[in-house]
Amino acid sequence: MKFKRNLPLTLTLTLFGFFVFAPMISAFEYSIRTPLEGGYGWKHYIWAVTQDDFVHYLMRSGWLAFLAVLITLLILVPTITWLHLSQSPLRVLIDAISLLPLVIPVVAFAVGAQISLPEFVQSTVLELPFLYFVLCLPYAYRSLDIGLSAIPLKTLTEAARSSGANPIRTINSVIIPAIRGSVMATVAITFVLSLGEYTLTVLLHWDTFPTWVTFVAQENILGAIAISMMSLIIPFLILTGITLALPERSNQGGR
Amino acid sequence: MSSKNLKLENVTKRFGNVTALDNFNFEVGVGELVALLGPSGCGKTTALRVVAGLENQDSGKVFVGDTEISNTPAHKRNMGMVFQAYSLFPNLTAEENVAFGLQMRKVNKEARIKKAQILLELVGLSTHGKRYTHQLSGGQQQRVALARALAFEPEILLLDEPLSALDAQVRVNLREEIRRLQISLGTTTLFVTHDQEEAMAISDRVGVMNNGVLEQIDTPDVLYNHPATNFVASFVGVMNKISSQLNEGHVEVFGKRLKAIKGENGAGKVYALVRPEAVNVKTNSSNPNAKVLTRSFLGASSNIVCQLSDGTIVQSLMTSSGSGDLHPGNSVELEVTSSEILITHE
Amino acid sequence: MTPSVIGEGAPSRGRTFFTFSLKSYLPALPLLAVVGYFFLFPISKLIYVSFLSNENTLTLGNFVTAFKDPYKTGFLNSIKIGLFSAAIAAFPGAVAAYFIETRGSSKLRRTIAVMNGVLANTGGVPLAFMFFAAIGIQGQITKILKVLGWDIYAGQFSLGTFSGLLIVYLYFQLPLMIIIFSPAIVSLRREWVEAAYNLGANQYKYWRTVGIPLLFPSFVASFLLLFASGFSAYATANALTVGNLPLTPLQIGGLLDGNVSASQLNLGKALSSVMILISALAIIPYLIIQRRSARWQKR
Repeated sequence: MKFKRNLPLTLTLTLFGFFVFAPMISAFEYSIRTPLEGGYGWKHYIWAVTQDDFVHYLMRSGWLAFLAVLITLLILVPTITWLHLSQSPLRVLIDAISLLPLVIPVVAFAVGAQISLPEFVQSTVLELPFLYFVLCLPYAYRSLDIGLSAIPLKTLTEAARSSGANPIRTINSVIIPAIRGSVMATVAITFVLSLGEYTLTVLLHWDTFPTWVTFVAQENILGAIAISMMSLIIPFLILTGITLALPERSNQGGR
Repeated sequence: MSSKNLKLENVTKRFGNVTALDNFNFEVGVGELVALLGPSGCGKTTALRVVAGLENQDSGKVFVGDTEISNTPAHKRNMGMVFQAYSLFPNLTAEENVAFGLQMRKVNKEARIKKAQILLELVGLSTHGKRYTHQLSGGQQQRVALARALAFEPEILLLDEPLSALDAQVRVNLREEIRRLQISLGTTTLFVTHDQEEAMAISDRVGVMNNGVLEQIDTPDVLYNHPATNFVASFVGVMNKISSQLNEGHVEVFGKRLKAIKGENGAGKVYALVRPEAVNVKTNSSNPNAKVLTRSFLGASSNIVCQLSDGTIVQSLMTSSGSGDLHPGNSVELEVTSSEILITHE
Repeated sequence: MTPSVIGEGAPSRGRTFFTFSLKSYLPALPLLAVVGYFFLFPISKLIYVSFLSNENTLTLGNFVTAFKDPYKTGFLNSIKIGLFSAAIAAFPGAVAAYFIETRGSSKLRRTIAVMNGVLANTGGVPLAFMFFAAIGIQGQITKILKVLGWDIYAGQFSLGTFSGLLIVYLYFQLPLMIIIFSPAIVSLRREWVEAAYNLGANQYKYWRTVGIPLLFPSFVASFLLLFASGFSAYATANALTVGNLPLTPLQIGGLLDGNVSASQLNLGKALSSVMILISALAIIPYLIIQRRSARWQKR
């Protein structure tokens, strides 16, 4: 009885797993090949992480992603909180605007950015975090919106304010802890998307970790494969770890 | 289709280590409305779902009339069921929802919509037929669910805490409607709830369950006045527990000697079980034995909470006019107005 | 429209009546400013410029060129790959989502959700590497298949062709489908299945009268999103093709880098505008359907 029930699931997972892991494993196998010595080894991984550029570009992408997260949280948390509390008619408009980046293909966005943002903006790499913020907006906004809808926001805020907390204190000490799950999800999505963003970055002629990998591929393909492997597996492991470590939320369906 | 009676025979159901139903025996007579009452986890919902075929019993049998249906799949059991909430199909109008059971029985569209309209009228929603679920209030949704369960004239009607998700006022109105409908249609009905007031108000008989076991099944009157177990005594209505000594089949409470029901054997420390309405509070007495803690005005009656010298809390239900001079802090004398009394050893 | 808080004994906060309206929208300023400047402004300018000729006069000339070859083929190919990758991934993805959500343990579901999140964002060079390693000319799977008797390179196939690209696109389209379709599955309440059974429906009838009608709009919406995803993909196409396959995102990329024939400076902008239009034609219905489904999907 139990086997019969799980057969479709097992089948699905097997097929899905094969489709997902076959290319990954093939690439992994490539990346641990050491053709000169014969057999396998970690040579390419070691080569990759010991490159000066590796650390440099990783730091750079990390820094940009971090800034994107910062911008996202600083702008969205107060704004969405306010939208929920004030019942402002702006909410409908902003809800709609938050979805617009989904509609615009990234390539088009890149073109638009290039022809409209002034010289001084386009000459600094700091334009990227703001652009990443826009790209992540649909997901970040939705995540925070749902999180704030799930808590008794008005009551919490009033309790905090009547206890003497100013707005900033209220947000930091009361609201953010209450929506911790959403905030973490937002941070995770924004960080990962920004870290791996390629199209916008390359079309605007910036160099970050993803674009560097492409460059490396031209001279050391096995090394590039090693880097690609790491950039896939590591976020996956980290995100899985975070997800599994978080306490389970109430069951939303399924058995 | 005329109603039949319903019988569960020695039904056992386990979920992992938990035994939800333990050799459960239960019967609902033709045209009866019987409630299964108990706290969360007592097994009442499991019993209902076994009847409906949504759970498979580990052992035991289920009968409808003379037919055993223990292994009949759920969709062939010809029972109408009302769930606690959210059971209406959101893609169908109220009318189409109600007609669904008839649609499954291959009744043609015209006939089944007509029947659905009749039923919607019966539950007072004749103008709401074309509405969708999200356009209906909680109470309206449950009434549609009720109409849907009755549309195909099932032999048995099953209600799984149908009122628990509704507002208090809606709950009271709807439970009366359910009872009226049930009586007029004569459908054998099993009603599961954790609200004892609800169960007592509309049922022919009430079965009180605890931990998978049926503790007592009787009419509401008997259940209230002659609870068979300690659990039933405290679950149904409010019950005071006053320490006393059992001696030769009698106990003494507040200076009055009372016959202990079922107290022929045994002696020693017991608890006397007294309903609040059997406790009288006297002011200006020479023999005070309690202090008034609070008086809650409930309209025609008032609930007076007192404390004895040993710390026991005793509640008394008196008329408001008769207890108007009682205030917190008063020293009073409590007395029991009945002549015989239930006892328990726990 | 603006709520009036004047009177009712509310303590005066020193606001005058006419600045009340402006101040009540002030908190939204940071968001609107950043989104306006970094997004709305560039897009508006883009659309505007696509109507400008080299001499800065208003013209439809850019669009005329945009619909001629090689750009016409680019659009057709891009639309095709959007449709095909969506079509191939939609049904398997929906079925996979169904079994995962209804039969999987909580841990399994969460792990798969995270995995899909990473996979759906996989693209570009890393993805290209994986597929070269797997089914490239020297790929592992290629070798295995050869041993089994099937030489996939016997014909015209290569990863840089339309069909090759299609297979690679599936790698992120399938997980994307699972991600966006799963909420619909999760919202199918147990009560509906049980009520249907109780009312006389067997499995098949339940799906026919309740299950599928409820899931169908979300399925269509997911398909639309998948289309937009395949249609707009840049990095993966860039990594796999070498200019042999006209695709609109790649063509725009090329024009951006200054390989512009002097005759049409604003062609790239026009192409982008058309891309936006096509994408909007898919995404806007997607959003509308999702909004309507949210009514019964609320838990």
